[in-house]
Amino acid sequence: MGSGWGFYITLLLVYLGVDIIACLGLNIQLGLAGVMDFAFIIFQAIGAYVYAIFTLGPPNAGLGQGAGGQSYLWGTSLPFPLPYIMAMVAGAALAFFCAVVVLPRLRGDYEAMAFLVISLIATGIVTNQVGLFNGANGLYGIPQPFSGALNLPTLQYDWFYVGLTAVICLLVWLVTRRITTSPMGRLLRAVRENEQAARALGKDANRARVFAFLVGGALGGLSGGVLVAFITAWAPASWGYAETFVFITAIVVGGFGNDLGVLVGVLLVPVLFGELVRFLPSFGQASWVEAAQLMAYGLLTLLFLWFRPRGLIAERRRRYPAPADSLAPAVASSAAARIRARLGPAGRSR
Amino acid sequence: MNPFIQYVGFGIVTAAILAIAAVGFTLQYAVTNVLNLAYGAIMTIGALAAYTVNQAGASIWLALVAGGASSAVVSVALSRGVFEPFKRRGLHMFGMVIVTIALGLFISNALLIVAGSNPFSYNAQAGGTYHFLGMIFTGQQLAVIGIALVAMVAVRVILQWTKLGRAMRATAADENLARACGINTQLVKDAAWLLSGALCGIAGVVLGLSVSGWTVSTSDGLLITVVAAAIVGGIGQPYGAILGALLLGIATSLVGGFFNPSYTDITAFTILVLFLVFRPTGLLSGVVRRRDVVV
Repeated sequence: MGSGWGFYITLLLVYLGVDIIACLGLNIQLGLAGVMDFAFIIFQAIGAYVYAIFTLGPPNAGLGQGAGGQSYLWGTSLPFPLPYIMAMVAGAALAFFCAVVVLPRLRGDYEAMAFLVISLIATGIVTNQVGLFNGANGLYGIPQPFSGALNLPTLQYDWFYVGLTAVICLLVWLVTRRITTSPMGRLLRAVRENEQAARALGKDANRARVFAFLVGGALGGLSGGVLVAFITAWAPASWGYAETFVFITAIVVGGFGNDLGVLVGVLLVPVLFGELVRFLPSFGQASWVEAAQLMAYGLLTLLFLWFRPRGLIAERRRRYPAPADSLAPAVASSAAARIRARLGPAGRSR
Repeated sequence: MNPFIQYVGFGIVTAAILAIAAVGFTLQYAVTNVLNLAYGAIMTIGALAAYTVNQAGASIWLALVAGGASSAVVSVALSRGVFEPFKRRGLHMFGMVIVTIALGLFISNALLIVAGSNPFSYNAQAGGTYHFLGMIFTGQQLAVIGIALVAMVAVRVILQWTKLGRAMRATAADENLARACGINTQLVKDAAWLLSGALCGIAGVVLGLSVSGWTVSTSDGLLITVVAAAIVGGIGQPYGAILGALLLGIATSLVGGFFNPSYTDITAFTILVLFLVFRPTGLLSGVVRRRDVVV
């Protein structure tokens, strides 16, 4: 196996990790809270940019401009975990801003539309405001964590970074599980299914949604940081609005609202399926590969929404037994009897 | 020559294109309840159809008709073949929007592969330049404005003074009630897809006329502003969409002219955010209708 394959596999594994982090984040917003966030990629984008400016150093060092003649707003150089944390904070902050503007006002279709517009116009701003993040050329030569201290050959460093990504993924997985199985996760599902009912029970539906959005944004930002530290370059072309759609396809295929389903979806869609299209017999121009990929994602989504709308691993339907004193006769009383039997005499409240 | 007035002139041209597209978009949403984000792709289909007819030697006017007709037919076909079946199947939560985006991605990337990424331009007489209230227009720009005016008047006449238009407004207000009153809502929806699809195709052709060269992704780029105009105008309100188009067209043109052309998108964004914050129901908001997620 040549080293070319080694580079390809490490790249694919890092992409897998990044997509897992991003999709778990998006799933909290989309699957759990039911917020139609079609702007998710901008959280990954700002995470990547913020990681970049927190490692590249001040833009005026050297030849009147930043490293390699790039121009950007501001920069510094911080040690290892801090740029990742700043990427998370930036993702969360942007998400909070978007959430506060959009969530209390728009619901359903118009919410989706507003996010789509935000995503498209964010690309426009970053592309045209060259002073912000070097415009369409983007930032490049972004330092990698520990690369100086370890001083490994490139391929070995890549494997080291795969390990680092895996550790971050594991942490994200634990945090996500913690949220989805917590009372907050239950509240978010309740808000998704029936907002009025949740509100009638005195729950602050809007605050719950903003919380979900914030967590999702933070994870999006983190995924951007993890990605950009590996590929060391980031430009508007990397985060077109269609990229959000790749994540959505993964969630639709895997099973939305379900962490395990998201893992399966990420494994199948961007990694396995996306790369399969790359290996199709090459035809025509190089740009057609991307077009064919996006066509395939579109088709895959349509097919899944038609044949298996709940995804490969459907979200478990949660059933809660009726309270013991419920008036609904047969079902409730049998459920109550089961609970009493399980609790035993000591567990009886009255 | 007063630059302010000239920029207003450019803005009116932009607004004319935006208005045709935004009225179609918002009408489609109001009557059919489908937020069709494949709209940009369908616009491109119209533009390409018109290009084919135009290249075959037909005049640009015939090409315009061909563009409108093909987009109208494609819209109805997509509604009957994709959107309606998905709706009948009872798609969960955010499903319908994802269906339209998926379809839009599929169509625009298919068009990219078929038509390539080279720019096209229509064969049309350039015409002279015309002075009007201190504004200078080319013949093509005047034609664009004229087409928009005719389209707007036609929409107004159809919606306000025909039985079909009344049925459309009734269906938009309350579909079940409309059906209970004996309106064949399925037919009305098909008519709405036809009408809005025609507007979509015409907007695609007019957009191609107004720029020196257009590609298969030009319409997708305009979709941002079209959607913004629809939101600014008010949810599902055709007349609001016209106002929204005027506001966005003139404002972006003024900012682009006086400051920097790259600020146009940011202007549209700022206006949209201001509206979302202070007047989320849009300019024309008689009745606040909160549409629920399609279940």
